[in-house]
Amino acid sequence: MTHYCYSIKILPGATVCEDCTLEGDITIGGGTVIHPRVTIIAEGGPIIIAEYCIIEEYSTIIHKKNEQPENPPKPLFIGAHNVFEVGCRLESLCGHIGESNVFECKSFVGIDVKIGSGCVIGAACSLNAPQTLPDNTVIWGSEHNNREALEKQPSQLLQLDFLGKVMPNYHRLRKSNVHKRQMSRQSQEPAKS
Amino acid sequence: MELQDTYYNKSEYVETASGNKVSRQTVLCGSQNIVLHGKVIVQSDAIIRGDLANVKTGRFCIISKGSVIRPPFKKFSKGVAFFPLQMGDHVFVGENTVVNAAVVGSYVYIGKNVVIGRRCVLKDCCMIEDNSVLPGETVVPSFARYSGSPARHITTLPEAMPDLMTEFTKSYYQHFVSITATG
Amino acid sequence: MAYLTQPDYVKYACSCGQIKPITSLYFCRHCLQIRCGFCICHEVDSHYCANCLENMPSSEARLKKNRCSSCFDCPSCFHTLSTRATLAQPRQTPEQGSGDSKVENKQAKKMYYLSCFNCRWTSRDVGIPDQPVASGGWPERVNPNATRINQLLDYYKAIAQQEKQEKLDRERKKFAIRGKYITLTDKTGLTGAMARNIAGLPSSESTMSAIANFVPSEASADVEELSEDFYTKELNLNQITSMPQRLAAPEWQPSSVSRLYPIAKLLSVKRSQRCRACDHNLTKPEYNPGSIKFKIELLAFYHVPEVKIISYEPMKPGCTSALLLKLTNPTGHEMQVRLLQPEEVPDTEDRLEEPKSLEKSLEKSLNLEKDNLWYETVQRKADVTATCRVVTPDVTLTLAQRDDAAEYDDDATHDANDIILWRKSNKLALRLQVRCGEEVEAGSAAEAALTLQYRYRNTVPAPHEPRDHTLHATLMLQLGHVSG
Repeated sequence: MTHYCYSIKILPGATVCEDCTLEGDITIGGGTVIHPRVTIIAEGGPIIIAEYCIIEEYSTIIHKKNEQPENPPKPLFIGAHNVFEVGCRLESLCGHIGESNVFECKSFVGIDVKIGSGCVIGAACSLNAPQTLPDNTVIWGSEHNNREALEKQPSQLLQLDFLGKVMPNYHRLRKSNVHKRQMSRQSQEPAKS
Repeated sequence: MELQDTYYNKSEYVETASGNKVSRQTVLCGSQNIVLHGKVIVQSDAIIRGDLANVKTGRFCIISKGSVIRPPFKKFSKGVAFFPLQMGDHVFVGENTVVNAAVVGSYVYIGKNVVIGRRCVLKDCCMIEDNSVLPGETVVPSFARYSGSPARHITTLPEAMPDLMTEFTKSYYQHFVSITATG
Repeated sequence: MAYLTQPDYVKYACSCGQIKPITSLYFCRHCLQIRCGFCICHEVDSHYCANCLENMPSSEARLKKNRCSSCFDCPSCFHTLSTRATLAQPRQTPEQGSGDSKVENKQAKKMYYLSCFNCRWTSRDVGIPDQPVASGGWPERVNPNATRINQLLDYYKAIAQQEKQEKLDRERKKFAIRGKYITLTDKTGLTGAMARNIAGLPSSESTMSAIANFVPSEASADVEELSEDFYTKELNLNQITSMPQRLAAPEWQPSSVSRLYPIAKLLSVKRSQRCRACDHNLTKPEYNPGSIKFKIELLAFYHVPEVKIISYEPMKPGCTSALLLKLTNPTGHEMQVRLLQPEEVPDTEDRLEEPKSLEKSLEKSLNLEKDNLWYETVQRKADVTATCRVVTPDVTLTLAQRDDAAEYDDDATHDANDIILWRKSNKLALRLQVRCGEEVEAGSAAEAALTLQYRYRNTVPAPHEPRDHTLHATLMLQLGHVSG
């Protein structure tokens, strides 16, 4: 992981549609489902998507090039159980997205936003200013109201289970190209950094 | 004002026997589960997710560019199920709109850049304005006009809404004319 | 439909002087007049909940303060709350020692709570216990000021009663002075109190006691000091309610987020509309809340020829430009149409009144009962002064009746006429000239007024033969801006 390379690693158990744009060094964790017409571009450094994420149609995840390129480039790490709904856009540079977040339809997260865990970015909300969302923050509406949820967002394991069974019947999928042993090493590495 | 003609490239569209006009640049997943009931226009880059559950539309529906029609899911105690998505006759779905509804009635106008949340029920004769966000499980009653994020009932629609929508979708279909690649 | 997504390019004048698009106008077949929402009577037909689409009788609706008994709004963002089920494994508490409860507790019970899909508020956030049933059963809160409000209500009711009685007494005195009539109570020797008893009105003693026992509130100059915490404690905005949140629950006006409780959803109504001049219904919806059908639907859209602008040349001061219009006959009968200038409309006797200010007539329409001559005052001529003038050709155009089957043969016939562009079943395209005034400033809105004189066949008086009438409709055309 220390050198920049154009390679896409799909771990076993991940469901990745062929009709997607994946560019750069991308690692997709086991159990994650990527729907058709998703764009993931890792031009500024590797993108690592952990296990059990759902990335829906027309979502875009871009790791943008930094003005002062760091050496080695910092990876963008997206935690487990995140849901990216239809048409959302994530342009984070800040290295880390927590777990169990929901990025609702057409939401936008700009480059200088740090996101904790269990957050909900409401439909059509856009976060442009540099900010840090504490855990369980919910943002909604055109006024970008926010409140703190009592509980974490429920996990989507049941939906993932269903999608993992159904999607291979209808879509051409990209095959996983990393073996189990390598997977465990890679998923640990970003957690340390 | 009268509607202006919308031109499309003849080679881009497939026209079926029942008069459906479907762009080749769409993603129709699980097309065996999608029923378009005739004279339906599906424009480029639209996605209809028939693989998740059945999607049925009525006659004279217009699915604009870049919109996503996606059956909603619901969690039960024993697993998760995607609901079939039903759409009535004379429905207009604007550009880049996401429809996650369970039921869309007849004579419904959905503007562009709209998000219709999961399992929403849009009754017959209602209108969602451009750039609105309808949170999940909202019921939009008949003759209501919704706007904003989150969308709220702002006013009522004229009683002649069924005729207005019929006229609009029919004339849209009539004004949707092809030009051959050379011309 | 274009009416909903576009600005209103063509507006019609209502008989009350308002200028509105044809979709918001009605047509009374008995008065043969165009009416609008402003000059007709709106009546509540039925109450229903827009979320669960359940009808509620109006007496029950009044009792429930026009709120649904099973649907709730989120107190945090005002979106409708959804009921969600969880399988709760009830915790075994040491107090529950009896065998019965143990058997019950072994099975996972379905418990329900309310949750908002917009802001993720849940009824658990404020500690409302989960309910064993899906709908209803949510704890109702009592207004802390309920007794005082009831006292006030009783007091004002009593005063109203008393004033009514005094008015009656005064009127009776008037009669007594005239001495012409002997009222029933005088004749039989009934006292006022007994008459009230027979009529089922509360006796004057109880009203007297309600008035006598009432204690008015007293203003006090002593205000409790704010606690020290108020100044020193750090403020967490996430814990403080917003103004709209407080005003949504006026009885409690919670200041802290932890005091937000679900708000029962307000009911919607189905309404019918009635012509004020002849008392006939203009619209009457079907009773079922989910239905979009109408029992009576007298819309201008179905009775008055519809005009649409196809295209026009930009207007220039002092020049004539071409204007293409489309005329549609929405009725099932052939229609003759002539184009006139608005001032050529023959003045009928009820068209004499000058336009009045909007507020005045609104006031009139609100004080319906007091004003006996209201229906005469709503007849008003619309202000149709325009910057441009349509050159009206002196021809009578014949529009075929509406034919739903005709849409399949779409060959437009081209009449060899310099006015008619094409003809297609009940539609007609016209080529007209518009003359813009000399002194009109460039950049100002170009408008033109036009009157349609049309033969309308009225089929409503069932015992009689259908009669033909010559009617007029004045309309305003928006033709963009005058170019320089």
